[in-house]
Amino acid sequence: MLDAGRHPLIDVISNAEVIGCEGKPGDFRVRVRKNKRYVREDLCVACGQCTDVCPVIAGNEFDVGLKARKAIYRPFPQSVPATYVIDPEFCLNLLGHLSEKQIRRLEKIQKVKQRKNLEYSSNILPCGHCTEACEVDAIDFDMQAEETELNVGAVLVAVGFQEFDARKLGNYGYGRFPNVVTSLEFERMLNASGVTQGHVVRPSDMKTPKRIVFIQCVGARGEGGRPYCSRFCCMNAVKDSMLVRQHDPEVEDVTILYTDLRAFGKGFDDFVQRSLDEKSATYIRGRPAKVDIVPEDDTLEVFVEDTLGHEQKRIPADLVVLSVAAAPNDGAAELSEILGIDTDAYGFVSRRDAAVSAVESTRDGVFVCGSAVGPQIIPDCVAQASAVAARAQLFLTGHRVEKHEEPVEPLDVSGKPRIGILVCRCGFNIAGVLDIDDLVQYATTIPDVVAAAGNTFACSTTGQDDLVELIREHNLNRLVIAACTPRTHEPIFRETCAHIGFNPYLFEMVNIRDQCSWVHAGQPLEAQEKARALIRMGVARARQLEPLHEGEVPMMHSALVIGGGIAGIQAATDLAVQGFPVTLVEKDKQLGGRLAKPHLKYLYPNMRPASEVLTAKLKRLKDSGARVLLNTDVESITGYVGNFEVNLKGETEELIQVGAIILAIGADLYDPKDEYGYSKLPNVITSQELETMLVEDDKNVEVAGTRPKSASFVLCVGSRDPEHFPGCSRYCCPTAIKQAILLRRMGMDITIFYRDIRTISTGAEEMYREARGLGVLFIRIPEGDKVQVNGTDHAESVRCFDDLLGRQLEVPTDLVVLSVGMQPKQPDTSKFHDILKLSVGLDGFFMELHPELGPVETTVEGVLLAGTVQGPKDIVDTVAQASAAAAKASVFLAHENVRLDPAVSVVNEEKCRGCGTCAEICEFHAPELVEIEPGTFVARINASLCKGCGTCTSWCPSGAIISRHFTDRQVHAMIDALFSAETPK
Amino acid sequence: MTPTKTKRAKKAKSTQWNPNIVVFACNWCSYAGADTAGVSRIQHEPHFRMIRVMCSGRIQPGFVLKSFEKGADGVLVSGCHIGDCHYIFGNERALEQFDKTKNMVRLLGLEEGRLRLEWISAAEGARFAEVINEFTAQVRKLGPSPLNSDNRKR
Ligand code: FES
Repeated sequence: MLDAGRHPLIDVISNAEVIGCEGKPGDFRVRVRKNKRYVREDLCVACGQCTDVCPVIAGNEFDVGLKARKAIYRPFPQSVPATYVIDPEFCLNLLGHLSEKQIRRLEKIQKVKQRKNLEYSSNILPCGHCTEACEVDAIDFDMQAEETELNVGAVLVAVGFQEFDARKLGNYGYGRFPNVVTSLEFERMLNASGVTQGHVVRPSDMKTPKRIVFIQCVGARGEGGRPYCSRFCCMNAVKDSMLVRQHDPEVEDVTILYTDLRAFGKGFDDFVQRSLDEKSATYIRGRPAKVDIVPEDDTLEVFVEDTLGHEQKRIPADLVVLSVAAAPNDGAAELSEILGIDTDAYGFVSRRDAAVSAVESTRDGVFVCGSAVGPQIIPDCVAQASAVAARAQLFLTGHRVEKHEEPVEPLDVSGKPRIGILVCRCGFNIAGVLDIDDLVQYATTIPDVVAAAGNTFACSTTGQDDLVELIREHNLNRLVIAACTPRTHEPIFRETCAHIGFNPYLFEMVNIRDQCSWVHAGQPLEAQEKARALIRMGVARARQLEPLHEGEVPMMHSALVIGGGIAGIQAATDLAVQGFPVTLVEKDKQLGGRLAKPHLKYLYPNMRPASEVLTAKLKRLKDSGARVLLNTDVESITGYVGNFEVNLKGETEELIQVGAIILAIGADLYDPKDEYGYSKLPNVITSQELETMLVEDDKNVEVAGTRPKSASFVLCVGSRDPEHFPGCSRYCCPTAIKQAILLRRMGMDITIFYRDIRTISTGAEEMYREARGLGVLFIRIPEGDKVQVNGTDHAESVRCFDDLLGRQLEVPTDLVVLSVGMQPKQPDTSKFHDILKLSVGLDGFFMELHPELGPVETTVEGVLLAGTVQGPKDIVDTVAQASAAAAKASVFLAHENVRLDPAVSVVNEEKCRGCGTCAEICEFHAPELVEIEPGTFVARINASLCKGCGTCTSWCPSGAIISRHFTDRQVHAMIDALFSAETPK
Repeated sequence: MTPTKTKRAKKAKSTQWNPNIVVFACNWCSYAGADTAGVSRIQHEPHFRMIRVMCSGRIQPGFVLKSFEKGADGVLVSGCHIGDCHYIFGNERALEQFDKTKNMVRLLGLEEGRLRLEWISAAEGARFAEVINEFTAQVRKLGPSPLNSDNRKR
């Protein structure tokens, strides 16, 4: 959020709504109304003094009303912009809360006052505490709503979702019983910075609940008129149950009432397993009928039928958590109308064709991502958001902006340190606890300090001017600012420094607010002493700082996409249409991967022929101008972001240079070998084989010369199996249901043996219901059990223990279909693991940099993942992820040069003994041993790969590595200064 | 606050001994956690000084030893939770380093309780405060470090 707020090319218009949208893609005119916030964004420095004095208390929305806030407030601690806002509903100066009669009376009083000129004030109800407290005069009660028109090339809709209102389901007692809370309310309690600092309590008496019951699927999967699944709730409940256990040992029992446990994401099944191993929760399959209160002791009781144990249960509880579904946002319908885009039956924004592009709405140039299209988990949201960025570029080509900074003449910073210190008061935030004059005075006594001054708000515009003045006047070559935290403000001050040619690395920040005045308010003497020490340490470090200069290497503006499946095609297209030269290499003789003939007949859920989708995609690819090389493989890759050298072999043999690489080699399907009699019995086939048959003829299926009258599907073959692939393959449940429906329509009797039905994608849950409606039989395989296929020369029946009936079940069958899961593609995965040095996860798939923050990035900068190389996913998610990879690649490619962070590690080759420890421990493969003379090795660190963590420095046995900006000298100087006691005189 | 007042207050307080604690923190998690404590105004003991590095992997035995040598009564090394390191495995390296440091500190004849390693995330402001309070209490119980030069003089 902070990144977006700070980005020079992003304008954040908060507190605003869209009221009109005309024009065409590439040239939209969007009208925006900026609502009144009564606080001027350009002046507010977010010091919070107004909030301290505001007399009105209201419920805090961010903490879902569990905590209070004032009428003037910051919505939540990390909000961007940081500007405060006045809630007209509650502010005494604004009349939102008054009745007409009261307003008329007030007006009368005002007139009288005016006539008599009794110190006339423009406010009718003058509270004005905030106006008085505000030292920068940012509060403006006369502010008017503003309308602006924006001229834009594309529009992205990312309005998210809102919670389903659990009050609508009266039987759970939400709203009636205080101790029934929603998952969101529970989450705020668990949050360390939330309402109760991470302690879970019963709202009725603030005691720790001993027994907690989670109810899943509240308002989802058929309840409250919502057939779809909300995707994130299962994992959220599992996670919360573990957290609450870790945090509060007083909690004795956690029970999760679920329908299917949908742990479909990467690593999710492992997580559930851990919860089972740790016994963090009891899982009961069933939907409760109601929640009731036990009046005697004010506890709750949940009535549920355990569908596995077949008993009616009454579960006593102190706290009930409802995992509520995601519903479309209230404003989404209106917004869709304004933007001229369609919504689906439930009110989410619809996409034209999710398989072709996961982020295009029904209007050209208007995109949609995240939970606006339906519930999503965070990694998928992030991937889609990046995908939008890639697709939207199409309408912005030619508008691509590269940063051009006019070089400023650098100031002369040589010579003996001349240190200047600015101590910020931050209004009262710092000055309310610390004695600023004393600190300024103290600073001047430290050697090498030539100037020291206080400032009310160092970060405000005037404060920055003062700063520049200070540097110029005293001809400083080191600067120390004692203020808030470097994590938010160092970039701001650095920019100011850079602006006037003062090397930003000669500036040091001392945190005397967040880590001093705010947390030691009750001990001002100790706080003062600490602030002095911190300043002393800051000066000591500043003395040792060295000017650093950003390096640059030229960027090759072209990309290589490896793998011509659906992901590769999408990524290559998205990059090529932006004008970047793209090479797509495919080992095989045709493009399309699993979408191509004879692998796939129809796509679920809307039964679109795969060939149609593929043709559309190939056309887009052709039009994009990407260069396609078939029957060609990658032999070797060297280099780093901006400058990769790739050796191609096969039909085309050449050496190409690219700036970024997208890996889209796909996944393998599991080979069941002799499991379930697959290798012996001719009528046991895999789902892929069935699909191939359907491609040939989707009206008739013939197996081993006969037409089967019945078929059984076995799910999770090779998935959710610790021996093969512990995770969920995501695509198999809906695929099996799709195939089952097709076979059912041919008149076959169908039974599906499943472990959990995980129909999580858009439309899949509906398909599941359709299948049930058509009479497809679903039988759950008990935990830890497997079905058995019987028959000697061909399969005759499938045997399974049925929990519902409580006995063994034998289903006669003419055909057994094994729904096989995905597996890392081999040997390709190992090969690229070796040549690109990408990390592979425990499940064997390539590891993304971070599941939420970097779902398509890898530890190697400039190398991105698209599609199933990263883990199993279906076509819609693959397409979204591929577009995301393209967007991320274009971020690199759009730069003139690769910017090199100067605050990285360097080797002092004279000291280096060439032991190779650094090369061994670095995750980013930045250090490399080079032979400088026969038999003599030294390490060299590639600045384009180094991230500057400094781990190698601390590991180097000969002390040959220097972590720039965090050198040994700088740290030691701080330690020295810390103890060079200002001994009490 | 006037200087005279300051002095008087200092004298009144001198009954309780306050330790000198050095905290090393990584930029992305534990330093951020301390900031979060600030944003939420969670009060805690003030007798520590923080030194920020980019990653806990940067915290080498030398830093800790130097702190003790200079007279620190306690040293806290902190970083992101395992698996959360901004640089992937930096904190696991820090853990290995820490084990070495611990041995060296033992050789110096210092009590084990003077050195501690904690993983604190950016969101865990309350936990940061808790850790500081606990550690301060623990060090306070141990009393001044035997290496503290002031102490030796006394
Ligand atoms: S960044 Fe926090 S431990 Fe590495």
